[in-house]
Amino acid sequence: MRIMTIIFIFIFFVAGIAWINIDNKPTPLQFVVPAGWPQPIYDFKKNPLTKEGFELGRKLFYDERLSKDSTISCASCHQQFGGFATYDHNLSHGYNNTLTTRNAPSLQNLAWQKEFMWDGGIVHLDMQPLAPLTAVNEMGETLENVIKKISRDTSYKRMFKAAFGPVPINTQKLTMALSQFVLMLVSSNSKYDKVMRGEAEFILPEKLGYEIFNQKCSSCHKAPFFTDFSYRNTGLKLDSTLNDYGRMKITNNSKDSLKFKVPSLRNVAITAPYGHDGRFFSLQNVYENYRNKMVITDNTDSLLKHKIPLSNYETGQLTAFLRTLTDTSFLKNPMYAPPGYEVTPFFIHYH
Amino acid sequence: MRTWYFASLFVIFLIVAGFTRSKSAVTTIRFKNMVGNKEMVLFDEMYTNSFGEPFSISKFRYYISHISFIDVNNKEINMAGNYYLVNEADSLSKIIQLPVASAIKSISFFVGVDSARSISGVQTGSLDPMNGMFWTWNSGYVFAKLEGQSDSSHAPAHGLTWDVGGFRQRENALRKITLTLNDNYTFTNNTITINADVLKWFDAVHPLKIAQSPTCHQSGKLAMQIADNYSAMFSIAP
Repeated sequence: MRIMTIIFIFIFFVAGIAWINIDNKPTPLQFVVPAGWPQPIYDFKKNPLTKEGFELGRKLFYDERLSKDSTISCASCHQQFGGFATYDHNLSHGYNNTLTTRNAPSLQNLAWQKEFMWDGGIVHLDMQPLAPLTAVNEMGETLENVIKKISRDTSYKRMFKAAFGPVPINTQKLTMALSQFVLMLVSSNSKYDKVMRGEAEFILPEKLGYEIFNQKCSSCHKAPFFTDFSYRNTGLKLDSTLNDYGRMKITNNSKDSLKFKVPSLRNVAITAPYGHDGRFFSLQNVYENYRNKMVITDNTDSLLKHKIPLSNYETGQLTAFLRTLTDTSFLKNPMYAPPGYEVTPFFIHYH
Repeated sequence: MRTWYFASLFVIFLIVAGFTRSKSAVTTIRFKNMVGNKEMVLFDEMYTNSFGEPFSISKFRYYISHISFIDVNNKEINMAGNYYLVNEADSLSKIIQLPVASAIKSISFFVGVDSARSISGVQTGSLDPMNGMFWTWNSGYVFAKLEGQSDSSHAPAHGLTWDVGGFRQRENALRKITLTLNDNYTFTNNTITINADVLKWFDAVHPLKIAQSPTCHQSGKLAMQIADNYSAMFSIAP
Protein backbone atom coordinates (compact mmCIF):
# COMPACT_ATOMS: atom_id res chain seq x y z
CA MET A 1 0.00 0.00 0.00
CA ARG A 2 2.68 2.44 1.03
CA ILE A 3 4.76 1.57 -2.00
CA MET A 4 1.78 2.19 -4.25
CA THR A 5 1.29 5.63 -2.71
CA ILE A 6 4.93 6.49 -3.24
CA ILE A 7 4.79 5.29 -6.83
CA PHE A 8 1.65 7.33 -7.46
CA ILE A 9 3.16 10.44 -5.98
CA PHE A 10 6.26 9.90 -8.09
CA ILE A 11 4.22 9.51 -11.26
CA PHE A 12 2.24 12.66 -10.49
CA PHE A 13 5.50 14.49 -9.83
CA VAL A 14 7.02 13.41 -13.15
CA ALA A 15 3.83 14.26 -15.02
CA GLY A 16 3.80 17.64 -13.31
CA ILE A 17 7.37 18.39 -14.34
CA ALA A 18 6.66 17.31 -17.90
CA TRP A 19 3.66 19.63 -17.90
CA ILE A 20 5.77 22.56 -16.72
CA ASN A 21 8.34 21.83 -19.39
CA ILE A 22 5.77 21.57 -22.15
CA ASP A 23 4.26 24.79 -20.94
CA ASN A 24 7.53 26.71 -20.98
CA LYS A 25 9.42 25.54 -24.02
CA PRO A 26 8.45 27.12 -27.33
CA THR A 27 7.98 24.76 -30.27
CA PRO A 28 10.88 24.89 -32.72
CA LEU A 29 10.02 25.98 -36.24
CA GLN A 30 12.06 24.55 -39.05
CA PHE A 31 13.62 26.84 -41.62
CA VAL A 32 13.87 24.98 -44.91
CA VAL A 33 16.65 25.96 -47.30
CA PRO A 34 15.33 25.29 -50.82
CA ALA A 35 17.33 22.67 -52.73
CA GLY A 36 20.39 24.13 -54.41
CA TRP A 37 20.27 27.42 -52.52
CA PRO A 38 23.23 28.64 -50.45
CA GLN A 39 23.18 28.61 -46.66
CA PRO A 40 21.43 31.63 -45.13
CA ILE A 41 23.43 34.57 -43.76
CA TYR A 42 21.12 35.19 -40.80
CA ASP A 43 22.43 33.61 -37.60
CA PHE A 44 19.53 31.43 -36.47
CA LYS A 45 21.51 30.27 -33.44
CA LYS A 46 21.18 33.70 -31.87
CA ASN A 47 17.45 33.82 -32.61
CA PRO A 48 16.10 30.27 -32.96
CA LEU A 49 12.82 30.17 -34.86
CA THR A 50 9.85 28.99 -32.87
CA LYS A 51 6.15 28.75 -33.61
CA GLU A 52 5.46 31.15 -30.74
CA GLY A 53 8.10 33.64 -31.91
CA PHE A 54 6.77 33.52 -35.46
CA GLU A 55 3.16 34.06 -34.33
CA LEU A 56 4.26 36.97 -32.14
CA GLY A 57 6.18 38.48 -35.05
CA ARG A 58 3.15 38.05 -37.27
CA LYS A 59 0.91 39.86 -34.79
CA LEU A 60 3.44 42.70 -34.47
CA PHE A 61 3.84 42.92 -38.25
CA TYR A 62 0.11 43.52 -38.68
CA ASP A 63 -0.38 45.72 -35.60
CA GLU A 64 -1.15 49.35 -36.42
CA ARG A 65 -0.76 50.34 -32.79
CA LEU A 66 2.99 50.26 -33.27
CA SER A 67 2.66 53.60 -35.10
CA LYS A 68 2.16 56.94 -33.39
CA ASP A 69 -1.54 57.30 -34.19
CA SER A 70 -2.38 53.62 -34.65
CA THR A 71 -2.93 53.89 -38.39
CA ILE A 72 0.14 52.26 -39.90
CA SER A 73 1.55 48.79 -39.47
CA CYS A 74 4.49 47.13 -41.20
CA ALA A 75 1.90 45.47 -43.41
CA SER A 76 0.55 48.84 -44.57
CA CYS A 77 3.51 49.12 -46.92
CA HIS A 78 4.43 45.44 -47.12
CA GLN A 79 1.28 43.77 -48.38
CA GLN A 80 1.16 40.06 -48.97
CA PHE A 81 -0.84 40.34 -52.19
CA GLY A 82 1.78 42.82 -53.46
CA GLY A 83 4.68 40.49 -52.74
CA PHE A 84 5.14 42.32 -49.42
CA ALA A 85 5.80 45.55 -51.33
CA THR A 86 3.14 48.27 -51.68
CA TYR A 87 0.54 47.75 -54.35
CA ASP A 88 0.23 50.86 -56.54
CA HIS A 89 2.18 53.40 -54.43
CA ASN A 90 5.37 54.87 -55.86
CA LEU A 91 6.45 56.33 -52.51
CA SER A 92 5.35 54.91 -49.17
CA HIS A 93 2.76 56.84 -47.19
CA GLY A 94 3.62 57.69 -43.59
CA TYR A 95 2.14 59.08 -40.41
CA ASN A 96 0.14 62.32 -40.65
CA ASN A 97 -0.01 62.72 -44.45
CA THR A 98 3.71 62.32 -44.99
CA LEU A 99 5.50 60.63 -47.84
CA THR A 100 8.75 58.76 -47.71
CA THR A 101 11.41 59.20 -50.38
CA ARG A 102 11.44 55.56 -51.45
CA ASN A 103 9.38 52.73 -52.85
CA ALA A 104 8.81 49.95 -50.31
CA PRO A 105 10.87 46.92 -51.34
CA SER A 106 9.30 43.48 -51.45
CA LEU A 107 10.10 41.26 -48.48
CA GLN A 108 11.17 37.74 -49.34
CA ASN A 109 14.22 35.54 -48.86
CA LEU A 110 15.58 37.95 -46.25
CA ALA A 111 17.63 35.27 -44.49
CA TRP A 112 20.11 35.53 -47.37
CA GLN A 113 20.46 39.33 -47.23
CA LYS A 114 23.35 40.98 -45.45
CA GLU A 115 22.30 44.61 -45.82
CA PHE A 116 18.90 46.23 -46.01
CA MET A 117 17.22 49.27 -47.56
CA TRP A 118 17.85 50.55 -51.09
CA ASP A 119 21.17 51.99 -49.88
CA GLY A 120 22.22 49.08 -47.64
CA GLY A 121 22.43 51.39 -44.63
CA ILE A 122 21.08 48.81 -42.20
CA VAL A 123 23.45 45.95 -41.51
CA HIS A 124 21.36 43.44 -39.56
CA LEU A 125 17.83 42.17 -40.14
CA ASP A 126 16.93 42.67 -36.46
CA MET A 127 17.88 46.36 -36.71
CA GLN A 128 15.72 46.96 -39.77
CA PRO A 129 12.36 47.62 -38.04
CA LEU A 130 13.88 50.38 -35.89
CA ALA A 131 14.02 52.69 -38.92
CA PRO A 132 10.35 52.56 -40.08
CA LEU A 133 9.08 52.48 -36.48
CA THR A 134 10.81 55.75 -35.57
CA ALA A 135 11.02 57.71 -38.84
CA VAL A 136 8.71 60.76 -38.67
CA ASN A 137 7.50 60.09 -42.22
CA GLU A 138 6.78 56.41 -41.57
CA MET A 139 5.29 55.12 -38.31
CA GLY A 140 6.51 58.15 -36.34
CA GLU A 141 6.63 56.48 -32.93
CA THR A 142 9.35 56.31 -30.30
CA LEU A 143 10.74 52.96 -29.21
CA GLU A 144 9.85 53.80 -25.58
CA ASN A 145 6.19 54.19 -26.53
CA VAL A 146 6.16 51.04 -28.65
CA ILE A 147 7.52 49.01 -25.74
CA LYS A 148 5.13 50.75 -23.33
CA LYS A 149 2.08 49.97 -25.47
CA ILE A 150 3.09 46.35 -25.93
CA SER A 151 3.97 45.83 -22.28
CA ARG A 152 0.50 46.93 -21.19
CA ASP A 153 -1.30 44.53 -23.52
CA THR A 154 -2.15 41.23 -21.87
CA SER A 155 -2.14 39.16 -25.05
CA TYR A 156 1.31 40.50 -25.95
CA LYS A 157 2.53 39.75 -22.42
CA ARG A 158 1.37 36.17 -22.84
CA MET A 159 2.85 35.82 -26.32
CA PHE A 160 6.24 37.32 -25.39
CA LYS A 161 6.42 34.95 -22.44
CA ALA A 162 5.53 31.99 -24.64
CA ALA A 163 8.16 32.93 -27.22
CA PHE A 164 11.04 34.13 -25.06
CA GLY A 165 10.25 33.04 -21.50
CA PRO A 166 9.75 35.24 -18.46
CA VAL A 167 12.11 38.03 -19.51
CA PRO A 168 11.29 41.73 -19.83
CA ILE A 169 9.76 42.90 -23.11
CA ASN A 170 12.41 45.08 -24.74
CA THR A 171 13.56 46.39 -28.10
CA GLN A 172 15.71 43.32 -28.69
CA LYS A 173 12.90 40.79 -28.18
CA LEU A 174 10.51 42.92 -30.24
CA THR A 175 12.85 43.00 -33.21
CA MET A 176 13.80 39.33 -32.87
CA ALA A 177 10.12 38.38 -33.05
CA LEU A 178 9.62 40.53 -36.15
CA SER A 179 12.67 38.87 -37.71
CA GLN A 180 11.22 35.44 -37.02
CA PHE A 181 8.13 36.33 -39.04
CA VAL A 182 9.87 37.94 -42.00
CA LEU A 183 12.58 35.25 -42.14
CA MET A 184 9.86 32.70 -42.91
CA LEU A 185 8.82 34.71 -45.99
CA VAL A 186 10.60 32.41 -48.42
CA SER A 187 9.54 32.56 -52.06
CA SER A 188 10.93 29.58 -53.95
CA ASN A 189 7.96 27.98 -55.65
CA SER A 190 7.27 30.03 -58.76
CA LYS A 191 6.80 28.48 -62.18
CA TYR A 192 10.49 29.28 -62.82
CA ASP A 193 11.46 27.19 -59.76
CA LYS A 194 9.21 24.35 -60.89
CA VAL A 195 10.82 24.39 -64.31
CA MET A 196 14.26 24.30 -62.73
CA ARG A 197 13.18 21.36 -60.58
CA GLY A 198 11.85 19.59 -63.66
CA GLU A 199 8.23 19.76 -62.48
CA ALA A 200 6.98 22.08 -65.23
CA GLU A 201 7.98 23.41 -68.64
CA PHE A 202 8.25 26.92 -70.05
CA ILE A 203 5.94 27.74 -72.93
CA LEU A 204 7.73 29.16 -75.97
CA PRO A 205 7.64 32.90 -75.11
CA GLU A 206 8.81 32.17 -71.56
CA LYS A 207 11.66 30.05 -72.87
CA LEU A 208 12.74 32.75 -75.32
CA GLY A 209 12.44 35.35 -72.57
CA TYR A 210 14.61 33.21 -70.28
CA GLU A 211 17.34 33.14 -72.95
CA ILE A 212 17.20 36.92 -73.37
CA PHE A 213 17.24 37.33 -69.60
CA ASN A 214 20.37 35.19 -69.29
CA GLN A 215 22.07 37.24 -71.98
CA LYS A 216 21.14 40.74 -70.86
CA CYS A 217 19.92 40.82 -67.25
CA SER A 218 21.22 37.94 -65.18
CA SER A 219 24.69 39.31 -64.40
CA CYS A 220 23.04 41.64 -61.88
CA HIS A 221 19.70 39.89 -61.34
CA LYS A 222 21.35 36.60 -60.47
CA ALA A 223 19.42 33.40 -59.72
CA PRO A 224 18.25 32.06 -57.33
CA PHE A 225 17.56 35.44 -55.65
CA PHE A 226 17.42 37.37 -58.92
CA THR A 227 19.75 39.94 -57.40
CA ASP A 228 23.47 39.83 -56.63
CA PHE A 229 22.80 42.21 -53.69
CA SER A 230 25.22 44.77 -55.15
CA TYR A 231 24.68 48.54 -55.49
CA ARG A 232 24.70 49.95 -59.00
CA ASN A 233 24.13 53.19 -60.82
CA THR A 234 21.64 52.44 -63.59
CA GLY A 235 21.59 55.93 -65.07
CA LEU A 236 18.60 57.21 -63.13
CA LYS A 237 18.49 61.00 -63.02
CA LEU A 238 18.41 62.65 -59.61
CA ASP A 239 14.95 63.81 -58.61
CA SER A 240 15.41 67.33 -57.24
CA THR A 241 12.57 66.99 -54.73
CA LEU A 242 13.91 63.77 -53.25
CA ASN A 243 17.66 64.48 -53.53
CA ASP A 244 18.32 60.81 -52.96
CA TYR A 245 21.93 59.91 -53.75
CA GLY A 246 21.46 56.34 -52.54
CA ARG A 247 24.52 54.43 -51.41
CA MET A 248 26.66 57.58 -51.26
CA LYS A 249 24.71 58.75 -48.22
CA ILE A 250 25.90 55.67 -46.36
CA THR A 251 29.52 55.46 -47.54
CA ASN A 252 30.26 59.19 -48.00
CA ASN A 253 32.07 58.09 -51.16
CA SER A 254 31.30 60.04 -54.33
CA LYS A 255 31.87 56.89 -56.39
CA ASP A 256 28.66 55.55 -54.84
CA SER A 257 26.59 58.48 -56.08
CA LEU A 258 23.14 57.37 -57.27
CA LYS A 259 23.88 53.73 -56.63
CA PHE A 260 20.98 51.65 -55.37
CA LYS A 261 20.63 48.01 -54.45
CA VAL A 262 19.80 45.65 -57.32
CA PRO A 263 16.23 44.61 -56.44
CA SER A 264 15.16 40.98 -56.53
CA LEU A 265 12.89 40.17 -59.46
CA ARG A 266 10.96 37.45 -57.65
CA ASN A 267 7.24 38.28 -57.92
CA VAL A 268 8.25 41.28 -60.03
CA ALA A 269 5.09 41.15 -62.16
CA ILE A 270 2.97 42.19 -59.18
CA THR A 271 5.31 44.62 -57.36
CA ALA A 272 4.89 47.69 -59.57
CA PRO A 273 5.78 50.55 -59.35
CA TYR A 274 9.52 49.93 -59.83
CA GLY A 275 12.78 51.67 -58.99
CA HIS A 276 14.01 53.04 -55.66
CA ASP A 277 11.54 55.91 -55.92
CA GLY A 278 8.85 54.03 -57.79
CA ARG A 279 9.29 56.17 -60.91
CA PHE A 280 8.47 53.32 -63.29
CA PHE A 281 4.85 52.23 -63.29
CA SER A 282 5.20 49.24 -65.59
CA LEU A 283 7.81 46.79 -66.79
CA GLN A 284 7.58 48.57 -70.14
CA ASN A 285 8.75 51.79 -68.43
CA VAL A 286 11.73 49.90 -67.04
CA TYR A 287 12.71 48.42 -70.43
CA GLU A 288 12.37 51.90 -71.93
CA ASN A 289 14.83 53.26 -69.39
CA TYR A 290 17.43 50.58 -70.08
CA ARG A 291 17.21 50.71 -73.86
CA ASN A 292 16.71 54.42 -74.31
CA LYS A 293 16.15 56.95 -71.53
CA MET A 294 18.93 56.22 -69.07
CA VAL A 295 21.61 58.90 -68.64
CA ILE A 296 25.18 57.64 -69.01
CA THR A 297 27.65 59.37 -66.68
CA ASP A 298 31.07 58.46 -65.27
CA ASN A 299 29.33 56.71 -62.40
CA THR A 300 27.05 54.59 -64.56
CA ASP A 301 27.62 50.89 -64.08
CA SER A 302 30.22 49.47 -66.47
CA LEU A 303 27.73 46.85 -67.69
CA LEU A 304 25.35 49.59 -68.77
CA LYS A 305 27.72 52.01 -70.54
CA HIS A 306 26.03 51.18 -73.83
CA LYS A 307 22.54 50.80 -72.34
CA ILE A 308 20.74 47.51 -72.99
CA PRO A 309 19.56 46.99 -76.55
CA LEU A 310 16.07 45.47 -76.44
CA SER A 311 13.67 45.14 -79.36
CA ASN A 312 9.91 45.40 -78.85
CA TYR A 313 9.77 41.71 -79.62
CA GLU A 314 12.32 40.94 -76.90
CA THR A 315 10.52 42.99 -74.24
CA GLY A 316 7.44 40.85 -74.83
CA GLN A 317 9.39 37.62 -74.35
CA LEU A 318 11.12 39.07 -71.27
CA THR A 319 7.76 39.94 -69.73
CA ALA A 320 6.56 36.41 -70.37
CA PHE A 321 9.62 35.08 -68.54
CA LEU A 322 9.40 37.56 -65.63
CA ARG A 323 5.82 36.45 -65.04
CA THR A 324 7.11 32.95 -64.33
CA LEU A 325 8.75 34.43 -61.21
CA THR A 326 5.33 35.02 -59.65
CA ASP A 327 4.93 32.63 -56.74
CA THR A 328 1.23 32.30 -55.93
CA SER A 329 1.83 29.77 -53.16
CA PHE A 330 3.83 32.55 -51.46
CA LEU A 331 1.37 35.34 -52.22
CA LYS A 332 -1.56 33.29 -50.91
CA ASN A 333 0.12 31.39 -48.08
CA PRO A 334 -2.36 31.67 -45.17
CA MET A 335 0.58 31.44 -42.74
CA TYR A 336 1.62 34.97 -43.76
CA ALA A 337 -1.87 36.49 -43.56
CA PRO A 338 -2.92 38.69 -40.60
CA PRO A 339 -3.52 36.64 -37.42
CA GLY A 340 -6.98 35.10 -37.58
CA TYR A 341 -7.29 35.41 -41.36
CA GLU A 342 -6.53 33.18 -44.33
CA VAL A 343 -6.07 36.12 -46.68
CA THR A 344 -5.59 39.82 -46.03
CA PRO A 345 -9.10 41.30 -45.65
CA PHE A 346 -9.85 44.38 -47.73
CA PHE A 347 -10.24 46.71 -44.76
CA ILE A 348 -6.68 46.18 -43.50
CA HIS A 349 -5.16 48.57 -46.03
CA TYR A 350 -6.63 52.00 -46.50
CA HIS A 351 -3.55 54.12 -47.11
CA MET B 1 29.62 23.98 24.42
CA ARG B 2 33.09 24.31 23.05
CA THR B 3 31.81 23.34 19.60
CA TRP B 4 29.23 26.10 19.74
CA TYR B 5 31.86 28.56 20.74
CA PHE B 6 34.05 27.69 17.76
CA ALA B 7 31.10 27.60 15.40
CA SER B 8 30.01 31.10 16.36
CA LEU B 9 33.57 32.36 16.09
CA PHE B 10 33.75 30.91 12.62
CA VAL B 11 30.48 32.54 11.59
CA ILE B 12 31.64 35.90 12.88
CA PHE B 13 34.88 35.44 11.00
CA LEU B 14 32.95 34.70 7.79
CA ILE B 15 30.78 37.76 8.21
CA VAL B 16 33.75 40.01 8.86
CA ALA B 17 35.66 38.48 5.95
CA GLY B 18 32.66 39.00 3.69
CA PHE B 19 32.44 42.64 4.70
CA THR B 20 36.11 43.32 4.19
CA ARG B 21 36.12 41.71 0.79
CA SER B 22 33.03 43.44 -0.50
CA LYS B 23 34.40 46.74 0.71
CA SER B 24 37.80 46.54 -0.93
CA ALA B 25 36.73 44.70 -4.10
CA VAL B 26 35.00 47.66 -5.69
CA THR B 27 36.61 50.51 -7.54
CA THR B 28 34.32 53.37 -8.41
CA ILE B 29 34.82 55.62 -11.40
CA ARG B 30 32.97 58.86 -11.18
CA PHE B 31 32.53 61.06 -14.23
CA LYS B 32 32.20 64.76 -13.54
CA ASN B 33 31.12 66.76 -16.57
CA MET B 34 32.66 70.21 -16.58
CA VAL B 35 32.63 73.44 -18.55
CA GLY B 36 36.13 74.76 -18.05
CA ASN B 37 36.53 74.57 -14.30
CA LYS B 38 32.82 74.78 -13.45
CA GLU B 39 30.52 71.81 -13.07
CA MET B 40 28.10 71.46 -15.99
CA VAL B 41 24.52 72.70 -15.63
CA LEU B 42 22.02 71.68 -18.29
CA PHE B 43 19.62 74.19 -19.89
CA ASP B 44 19.93 77.13 -17.52
CA GLU B 45 23.52 78.29 -17.92
CA MET B 46 25.07 80.11 -20.86
CA TYR B 47 28.66 79.21 -21.62
CA THR B 48 31.27 80.58 -24.02
CA ASN B 49 33.81 78.60 -26.02
CA SER B 50 37.30 79.85 -26.86
CA PHE B 51 36.01 81.50 -30.07
CA GLY B 52 33.68 83.66 -27.99
CA GLU B 53 30.60 81.77 -29.15
CA PRO B 54 27.84 81.51 -26.54
CA PHE B 55 26.03 78.20 -26.05
CA SER B 56 23.74 76.35 -23.68
CA ILE B 57 23.62 72.56 -23.24
CA SER B 58 20.48 70.41 -23.26
CA LYS B 59 21.99 66.96 -23.75
CA PHE B 60 25.44 65.65 -22.92
CA ARG B 61 25.99 61.91 -23.22
CA TYR B 62 28.76 59.52 -24.18
CA TYR B 63 29.45 55.81 -24.25
CA ILE B 64 32.34 54.44 -22.20
CA SER B 65 33.39 50.88 -23.06
CA HIS B 66 36.13 48.29 -22.60
CA ILE B 67 37.55 49.80 -19.43
CA SER B 68 40.92 48.41 -18.42
CA PHE B 69 43.38 49.20 -15.63
CA ILE B 70 47.08 48.84 -15.04
CA ASP B 71 47.71 48.23 -11.37
CA VAL B 72 50.80 49.21 -9.40
CA ASN B 73 52.40 45.83 -10.22
CA ASN B 74 51.98 46.55 -13.97
CA LYS B 75 49.30 43.89 -14.25
CA GLU B 76 46.50 44.57 -16.72
CA ILE B 77 42.96 44.18 -15.45
CA ASN B 78 40.51 43.98 -18.31
CA MET B 79 36.83 44.79 -18.08
CA ALA B 80 36.16 44.21 -21.78
CA GLY B 81 32.61 43.72 -22.95
CA ASN B 82 31.04 46.33 -20.68
CA TYR B 83 29.30 49.38 -22.11
CA TYR B 84 28.20 52.37 -20.06
CA LEU B 85 26.18 55.35 -21.18
CA VAL B 86 27.19 58.41 -19.20
CA ASN B 87 24.31 60.87 -19.31
CA GLU B 88 24.57 64.28 -17.63
CA ALA B 89 20.80 64.22 -17.01
CA ASP B 90 21.04 60.97 -15.03
CA SER B 91 23.33 61.24 -12.02
CA LEU B 92 23.48 57.48 -11.41
CA SER B 93 24.83 56.95 -14.92
CA LYS B 94 27.92 58.95 -13.98
CA ILE B 95 29.04 56.40 -11.42
CA ILE B 96 30.57 53.13 -12.63
CA GLN B 97 31.42 50.47 -10.08
CA LEU B 98 33.83 47.71 -11.00
CA PRO B 99 35.01 44.63 -9.11
CA VAL B 100 38.64 45.70 -8.96
CA ALA B 101 40.62 45.45 -5.74
CA SER B 102 44.21 46.36 -6.57
CA ALA B 103 45.78 49.78 -6.44
CA ILE B 104 45.52 51.40 -9.87
CA LYS B 105 48.27 53.14 -11.81
CA SER B 106 46.41 53.97 -14.96
CA ILE B 107 43.01 53.54 -16.58
CA SER B 108 42.02 53.16 -20.25
CA PHE B 109 38.68 53.07 -21.98
CA PHE B 110 37.06 53.67 -25.32
CA VAL B 111 34.60 56.42 -26.08
CA GLY B 112 32.05 54.73 -28.30
CA VAL B 113 30.95 51.26 -29.35
CA ASP B 114 33.20 48.90 -31.30
CA SER B 115 32.27 47.74 -34.78
CA ALA B 116 31.73 44.11 -33.78
CA ARG B 117 29.02 45.11 -31.34
CA SER B 118 27.57 47.67 -33.73
CA ILE B 119 26.68 45.08 -36.36
CA SER B 120 25.54 42.12 -34.29
CA GLY B 121 21.84 42.76 -33.92
CA VAL B 122 19.76 44.72 -31.45
CA GLN B 123 21.34 45.04 -28.01
CA THR B 124 19.89 45.50 -24.53
CA GLY B 125 20.68 47.55 -21.43
CA SER B 126 22.85 50.61 -22.00
CA LEU B 127 23.04 49.70 -25.69
CA ASP B 128 19.26 49.44 -26.20
CA PRO B 129 18.47 51.63 -29.24
CA MET B 130 15.69 53.03 -27.08
CA ASN B 131 18.28 55.18 -25.29
CA GLY B 132 18.30 57.51 -28.28
CA MET B 133 21.96 56.89 -29.08
CA PHE B 134 21.41 54.87 -32.27
CA TRP B 135 21.14 55.82 -35.93
CA THR B 136 18.42 53.63 -37.39
CA TRP B 137 18.77 54.58 -41.09
CA ASN B 138 22.52 53.96 -41.20
CA SER B 139 23.08 51.36 -38.52
CA GLY B 140 25.41 52.46 -35.79
CA TYR B 141 25.64 54.03 -32.38
CA VAL B 142 25.97 57.69 -31.61
CA PHE B 143 29.15 57.53 -29.52
CA ALA B 144 28.81 60.95 -27.95
CA LYS B 145 26.24 63.69 -28.07
CA LEU B 146 26.43 67.41 -27.31
CA GLU B 147 23.18 69.24 -27.97
CA GLY B 148 22.05 72.71 -27.08
CA GLN B 149 21.48 76.16 -28.53
CA SER B 150 23.77 78.93 -29.64
CA ASP B 151 23.21 82.38 -31.09
CA SER B 152 26.19 81.66 -33.33
CA SER B 153 24.35 78.75 -34.94
CA HIS B 154 22.61 79.27 -38.27
CA ALA B 155 20.87 75.89 -38.03
CA PRO B 156 17.09 75.79 -37.44
CA ALA B 157 16.15 77.03 -33.95
CA HIS B 158 19.81 78.05 -33.46
CA GLY B 159 20.51 74.43 -32.71
CA LEU B 160 23.90 73.06 -31.79
CA THR B 161 23.59 69.31 -32.40
CA TRP B 162 26.78 67.34 -32.47
CA ASP B 163 25.96 63.64 -32.63
CA VAL B 164 29.21 61.80 -33.20
CA GLY B 165 29.59 58.21 -34.33
CA GLY B 166 30.95 55.97 -37.08
CA PHE B 167 32.51 52.53 -36.85
CA ARG B 168 33.38 51.85 -40.48
CA GLN B 169 36.85 52.11 -41.91
CA ARG B 170 37.90 55.61 -42.94
CA GLU B 171 35.24 57.11 -40.70
CA ASN B 172 35.96 55.42 -37.42
CA ALA B 173 35.20 57.76 -34.53
CA LEU B 174 36.05 55.24 -31.81
CA ARG B 175 38.76 56.72 -29.59
CA LYS B 176 40.88 55.15 -26.88
CA ILE B 177 41.65 57.21 -23.80
CA THR B 178 44.43 56.44 -21.34
CA LEU B 179 44.77 58.38 -18.10
CA THR B 180 47.64 57.94 -15.68
CA LEU B 181 47.26 58.56 -11.98
CA ASN B 182 49.85 60.62 -10.15
CA ASP B 183 52.21 58.65 -7.92
CA ASN B 184 50.80 60.41 -4.90
CA TYR B 185 47.16 60.13 -6.00
CA THR B 186 45.03 59.58 -2.95
CA PHE B 187 41.97 57.41 -3.33
CA THR B 188 38.95 58.44 -1.35
CA ASN B 189 36.69 55.42 -0.89
CA ASN B 190 38.42 53.69 -3.80
CA THR B 191 36.99 56.27 -6.15
CA ILE B 192 38.66 57.76 -9.19
CA THR B 193 37.00 60.92 -10.39
CA ILE B 194 37.38 61.76 -14.06
CA ASN B 195 36.59 65.24 -15.26
CA ALA B 196 35.16 65.68 -18.75
CA ASP B 197 35.48 69.24 -20.01
CA VAL B 198 33.01 70.06 -22.79
CA LEU B 199 35.03 73.12 -23.89
CA LYS B 200 37.60 70.71 -25.39
CA TRP B 201 35.00 69.63 -27.99
CA PHE B 202 35.55 72.90 -29.82
CA ASP B 203 39.29 73.34 -29.94
CA ALA B 204 41.45 70.56 -28.42
CA VAL B 205 42.87 69.41 -31.78
CA HIS B 206 40.80 70.93 -34.59
CA PRO B 207 39.26 74.39 -34.23
CA LEU B 208 35.52 73.79 -34.76
CA LYS B 209 33.31 76.84 -34.64
CA ILE B 210 29.59 76.57 -34.01
CA ALA B 211 29.08 79.23 -36.68
CA GLN B 212 30.66 76.97 -39.29
CA SER B 213 29.46 73.53 -38.23
CA PRO B 214 26.46 73.66 -35.93
CA THR B 215 25.22 70.24 -37.02
CA CYS B 216 26.77 66.79 -37.07
CA HIS B 217 24.26 64.02 -37.68
CA GLN B 218 26.30 61.35 -39.40
CA SER B 219 29.66 59.67 -39.44
CA GLY B 220 32.45 61.17 -41.55
CA LYS B 221 35.10 63.86 -41.39
CA LEU B 222 33.37 66.27 -39.02
CA ALA B 223 32.42 63.44 -36.65
CA MET B 224 36.02 62.22 -36.59
CA GLN B 225 37.31 65.74 -35.89
CA ILE B 226 34.89 66.21 -33.00
CA ALA B 227 35.95 62.78 -31.70
CA ASP B 228 39.62 63.85 -31.87
CA ASN B 229 38.69 66.92 -29.87
CA TYR B 230 36.62 65.26 -27.19
CA SER B 231 39.14 62.52 -26.63
CA ALA B 232 41.20 65.26 -24.97
CA MET B 233 38.41 66.25 -22.59
CA PHE B 234 39.12 63.63 -19.92
CA SER B 235 41.45 64.17 -17.00
CA ILE B 236 41.86 62.69 -13.54
CA ALA B 237 40.36 65.09 -11.05
CA PRO B 238 43.00 66.31 -8.60
